[in-house]
Amino acid sequence: MAEDFNTDSMLDMYLFENGQLLEQLQETVLEQKDADGFDEDSINEIFRTMHTIKGSSGIMMFDNITAVSHKLEDVFFYLRESHPEHVPHVELVEHVLEVEDFISSEMEKIRNGETPDGDATNLIKNLDRFLDMIKSGGTADSVPEPVHEEPKHFYIAPMASSASRFYKIFVHFFPGTEMSNVHAYKIVYALKEIAEDILYSPEDILSDEKSGDIILRDGFRILLQAQCTETDVRELIGVGYDIEKVDVFECDADQFLLGFDFGDDQPLKVIDLESSVEEIEAREEVKGEEGKPKEAEKPKIVPGDFVIQSKEPGKQKKLAKDKPKVEKASFISVNVAKMDQLMDLIGELVISESVVLQSSDLKVPGLNLDNFNKAAAQLASISTDLQNVIMSMRMVPLTNTFQKMNRIVFDVSRKLGKDIEFVVVGESTEVDKNIIEHISDPLMHLVRNAVDHGIETNEERKESGKFEKGRVTLSARTEAGKVWISVEDNGKGLDREKIIAKARKQGLLEDNKPDSAYTDKEVYQFITLPGFSTNEQITEYSGRGVGMDVVVQNIQTIGGALEIESVPGMGSTMTLKIPLTLAIIDGIVMETGASSFVMETGVIKQFTRVKQDMMINEPNGDEYVMIREECYPVIRLGKWYGLTDYQESVEDGVMLILELEDRKVCLLVDRLVGEQEIVVKPIPSYIKKVKGLSGCTQLGDGSIALILDAPGLVE
Amino acid sequence: MSEIDDMIIKTEESDTQKGKYMTFKSGHEYFGLGIEYVQQIIQYQTITMVPDTEDYIKGLINLRGRIIPVVDVSLRFRQEPCEYNDKTCILVINVKSATVGLVVEQIAEVVEIKDDNILPPPSIGKGDRGHNKYVYGIGRVGNTVKLLLDPEKLLYDEEPVDGEQGRMNEEE
Repeated sequence: MAEDFNTDSMLDMYLFENGQLLEQLQETVLEQKDADGFDEDSINEIFRTMHTIKGSSGIMMFDNITAVSHKLEDVFFYLRESHPEHVPHVELVEHVLEVEDFISSEMEKIRNGETPDGDATNLIKNLDRFLDMIKSGGTADSVPEPVHEEPKHFYIAPMASSASRFYKIFVHFFPGTEMSNVHAYKIVYALKEIAEDILYSPEDILSDEKSGDIILRDGFRILLQAQCTETDVRELIGVGYDIEKVDVFECDADQFLLGFDFGDDQPLKVIDLESSVEEIEAREEVKGEEGKPKEAEKPKIVPGDFVIQSKEPGKQKKLAKDKPKVEKASFISVNVAKMDQLMDLIGELVISESVVLQSSDLKVPGLNLDNFNKAAAQLASISTDLQNVIMSMRMVPLTNTFQKMNRIVFDVSRKLGKDIEFVVVGESTEVDKNIIEHISDPLMHLVRNAVDHGIETNEERKESGKFEKGRVTLSARTEAGKVWISVEDNGKGLDREKIIAKARKQGLLEDNKPDSAYTDKEVYQFITLPGFSTNEQITEYSGRGVGMDVVVQNIQTIGGALEIESVPGMGSTMTLKIPLTLAIIDGIVMETGASSFVMETGVIKQFTRVKQDMMINEPNGDEYVMIREECYPVIRLGKWYGLTDYQESVEDGVMLILELEDRKVCLLVDRLVGEQEIVVKPIPSYIKKVKGLSGCTQLGDGSIALILDAPGLVE
Repeated sequence: MSEIDDMIIKTEESDTQKGKYMTFKSGHEYFGLGIEYVQQIIQYQTITMVPDTEDYIKGLINLRGRIIPVVDVSLRFRQEPCEYNDKTCILVINVKSATVGLVVEQIAEVVEIKDDNILPPPSIGKGDRGHNKYVYGIGRVGNTVKLLLDPEKLLYDEEPVDGEQGRMNEEE
């Protein structure tokens, strides 16, 4: 087994890492899709993400991915370096998402062992056009001027402590000093030793040769947080032949966090009064010169303000940077196979525990078991805790899944020209990892349907007098041991008449039954049938009649159900009710012949014993039973599976009334054993799928029971 | 029997395993299976029947928490079904990441057969297509012969078409 995991580990790593990067990227992009532009952190993040993907894809020789990511990197490089003013943000968001889609689909191919052969030329062409557009649209800022790079803050080791002192340091080099940027780097390097936090400007002193000129002209500026005195700082910087003057000012934490933009009018605790005035004047001059051309267009903009307006430059940004670091430290990703193995082992532990505690050796009369029982209780509580912990480890919040829906609403609503608000409620609801994998697709269908069919076009809404914005609400909550996920829209609702007409045309209704005899619930269920779509117009997204039946199928495979509610003119609500976990179920253990079976407790409505005279036999062999004036079809489990030695007479067995959605059947078994929590294991794939069985499990005595799958039996 | 119980063969040491075969008796013949496939041998234990499957699939057993399917070799070879007694063993084999138990009448021994002592299977008469299919060679050990099995075919091949129909298909 271990070898399976190690093969192509580089490829696995590539897929895993880049998958995570892309997910993060999408999250970042969608978070800011409604803003006027990306903030600087996001631009940097997208740039870095593309750079990483480009690099690793280059190593793996996936040329098309490399090319695309390189192009997007170019775009963001330009954004980062030149801060163009007129960037059509929505278009930019679309471009990023397109690239993300492309890379994801290529990675999917790689994952399936195919070669990533997607054609990226169009994508690259579009990006080129976009880049040209923003370059020409950026007017005054079209030439990357290094002076503008100023508002970058690099934080190193951000450990705050109350004893820290804050300094602003200005270093001036003699005019004409060669490689002043390298000298500046030496100073930074020296200061890093004592620094708790340090930032400096210009920031890429090593990679950008032009930074040398800026340093010569404006001086090299450093913000330092350290537990040392001014003299220490001066000593570290040293007085070299090339340094003309070093100014050190002490300031307080607030000023420090404001960064270099401490306004000219801010009171500083000035230590070296003379040169500071000079410095401020020099800075003002520079600012004035830079500011002029821009003021002509947009009077209030000063360099550095292109970055997010909503965020205060200093403090906020720092917080934003601290946060992910904390999260990263407290999470590790674990191979799911290992989790499953742990789960199996704990399951076994619980079983062997019961074997030990109920050992027949303990049943000798006259044995004093007080101490044993105490220890046994302790052991039992630990193993219960252990079971709970592993279960909670497998639980993941729905956040990621919901995030993806955000993307779909964005895409579809834009393409259809609908103005839609997307609301997410309860995304932190936790669900077993295996289940999440199964609900992603169905949810996507439902959300897409809500946007496409549910919400009317803007014009239609106006006509029908709805002034509120179209809204799609995706919500999750836990109720009665199940997770309820609903997709709700405030659109036109389902058209009962249309559905009935279509159903009649397809011969789904009984001829002599009037339309009104069908309840709304029954009518709405028709849309979950294969090939049933009332949308006359097939759009890119839906209307082909494929979809709802797939949704229902997928949900049923994980033991869930779909509920549809709708009010004409007010909108509809689709609710998925799914179990919290697949791994452990509450089950009733029963026996037939020599075999043990388990049935999920939820579907069993009641147990009952029946008399022979309650049975109705049809000539074709079908059997029915009348229980309290209701007639149920009967399945004899022994006969169904061709077992031997089972109870022939119904009076010796037990009837289970199973209820599934609206269908009810009776299942005849020999005897009931008890109720217990069942750790579900799959039937080995070597045995082909058997109708009516969904898995197997290990009972307390180590024997195996087969888990009956009620939907399979009912069919 | 308890020694057999503990006889867990490590599959890692491939060079020391080369040319070694686990032999067992089923019906009147002795069969051999490359030892690299054999994971362990356990005593016969109760098998949980799975309904609606091929008759040679006896069901499931619990191998220390892992639930694995079990195949009855004699039924697979369409031999007379053997009676399970205290000599009956379950040979646990790994083939293509699947773990399957084989119920065999009696475990014999591990033998070494050199490649030049392995002959291709003689084509037996048309009627007896049954076990010829799973046998890829005949190994000579002293005066006896062992039929060497291809475990993949043993597990995954469709049932041989038998009798009239098989011959008709052959002629087409």
